[in-house]
Amino acid sequence: MIWILVIVFVVCLLFRFPIAFALGLSCLAYLLAKGIPLIVLPMKMYSGIDVFVLLSIPGFILAGNLMNGGGLTEKIISFCNHITGHIRGGLALANIGASMLFAGISGTAISDTASIGSVMIPAMKKEGYDADFSCAITAASSTVGPIIPPSVPMIIAATLSGLSVGRLFLAGAIPGFLLGFGLMIVAYYISVKRKYPTFPKSNIRQILKGFLDTFWSLLMTFIILFGIIGGIFTPTEASIIAVFYAMLVGVFVYKKLNLKNIMVIVLDSMKTSASLMVLIGFANLFGWILITEQLPQIISTEINNFSDNKYVVLLLINLLLILVGTFMETIAALLILFPILLKVAIGVDVDPIHFAVIALLNLMIGLTTPPLGVCLFVSASIGKVSIGQVSKAGLPFLLVSLLVLTIITLFPDLSLFLPRLFMD
Amino acid sequence: MKSIKKKVAQFLKYGTLLSSFGFIGATLIQIYARFFMASAPSWTEEAARFFFIYAMSFAAGLAMKNGYYVHFDILFNKMNKKQQQIVNILVSVLTLILFGVLTLYALQFVKVGIPEHSPSLGVSMAIAFTSIVIMGLFVSFYACLDLLKKWKR
Repeated sequence: MIWILVIVFVVCLLFRFPIAFALGLSCLAYLLAKGIPLIVLPMKMYSGIDVFVLLSIPGFILAGNLMNGGGLTEKIISFCNHITGHIRGGLALANIGASMLFAGISGTAISDTASIGSVMIPAMKKEGYDADFSCAITAASSTVGPIIPPSVPMIIAATLSGLSVGRLFLAGAIPGFLLGFGLMIVAYYISVKRKYPTFPKSNIRQILKGFLDTFWSLLMTFIILFGIIGGIFTPTEASIIAVFYAMLVGVFVYKKLNLKNIMVIVLDSMKTSASLMVLIGFANLFGWILITEQLPQIISTEINNFSDNKYVVLLLINLLLILVGTFMETIAALLILFPILLKVAIGVDVDPIHFAVIALLNLMIGLTTPPLGVCLFVSASIGKVSIGQVSKAGLPFLLVSLLVLTIITLFPDLSLFLPRLFMD
Repeated sequence: MKSIKKKVAQFLKYGTLLSSFGFIGATLIQIYARFFMASAPSWTEEAARFFFIYAMSFAAGLAMKNGYYVHFDILFNKMNKKQQQIVNILVSVLTLILFGVLTLYALQFVKVGIPEHSPSLGVSMAIAFTSIVIMGLFVSFYACLDLLKKWKR
């Protein structure tokens, strides 16, 4: 009967149904075919979102949007440009740097591509950078954000598996920076080769001013991180502290927030969060059906029959996740596949925290993998170039991302060092 | 019809805002109590969760109204205009069916919750479960409007 679930889901996806509704409709079709009472639908919907840690998702999204209400994106980009502007390809490096700093603010790759891209891509084109390169670097760099904490997909991975959010946040830090610096090296190499422009070196006063402009947002990231890691706050409490803090900074420091635009931002953030919660609710039912059908056990047995070598299993999982990541939204893919694949990974002695980082990195790489990578589409539409051009220009960045993925997969300590250091 | 649409949108807007400030407030009280009071009240986490579910349920309808649900256009973009119109109507009809069924069975779910009480606040779980009725009902409402709009076109 599971084929009904899968076929209806795939057909709905192809025919432009929102992913959340595609999940819901496939579950409905399955329940009808199996004769299971339909009251399961609201029950699983409710239990899927009645989880305290999920409150942190609207919390972080709202905090990020409130900070952005104070013109934060431009301030972060300007600060990064002050630091890297004098280096060849400085704007490209600033683009990556801004994504790394922006990580703490938005938490999702597609919103990073849209918000940073809408400022950076026109600026880079204006300064003489090729449009396809500008789009490709924006798409690639935005995948760094959700690896570096705090990260919405990591909260979801933790909710699904019972892992500690704090540990997961810490585990993503080194891989995220490694990916960011890897992309910077490639961007620099290409910029030198194509003789992209440089800016005059900023003086210390300009750098200091740029730092002070972004200081409040960086401080928010530190409060969140150290609050969670230090056991002072739960992730949900940390997100609400971040909201409170962002409101204070927006009203009293940046002086751009008032009651009227706070209401608009709250409403907008809740709509974004609600679309995720409907997805999470239906995915809870979808996951329940998969478990009822014993799919995790079947997949686990099949993979173990194929090979019980840890690295072969991880290679297979990596390939599957990249493939899925190219056409499916990160959170939906995480909700459906993470619990199943985690079981397989634990079966071959992979640390669950390490696996969570690998899974997330894979899905992020999928977002920039042609021909369907969603971030490629977003950046191509901002830069008004074809998806083919962006895909071609993005190949060097994709290769470096795959190299970082290989390193992270082969060396678990890169992910596990910080959680062990701070939380054991 | 216009005034109904306006009233529904207003209801969802204020429902979302009030519930959002509710869960933010309850969590802030929880943090304050832990640091500055001898013992933290046990109801804050439950209250925050209930407010949060209501905020998401009110906002789910608004998200439908404003097109916040992510979908993929890859195959859709390759269709001709006529095919696109058919697919659009199909999406609206099936969305309406999905959320109609959800609303209908959520009402049964609410009935199940009447005798149950939440552990900390002691309120009937029917109150909490009603959030799913709100979610289903207003997503259906906007799916219905969407269908009418597409049909007219």
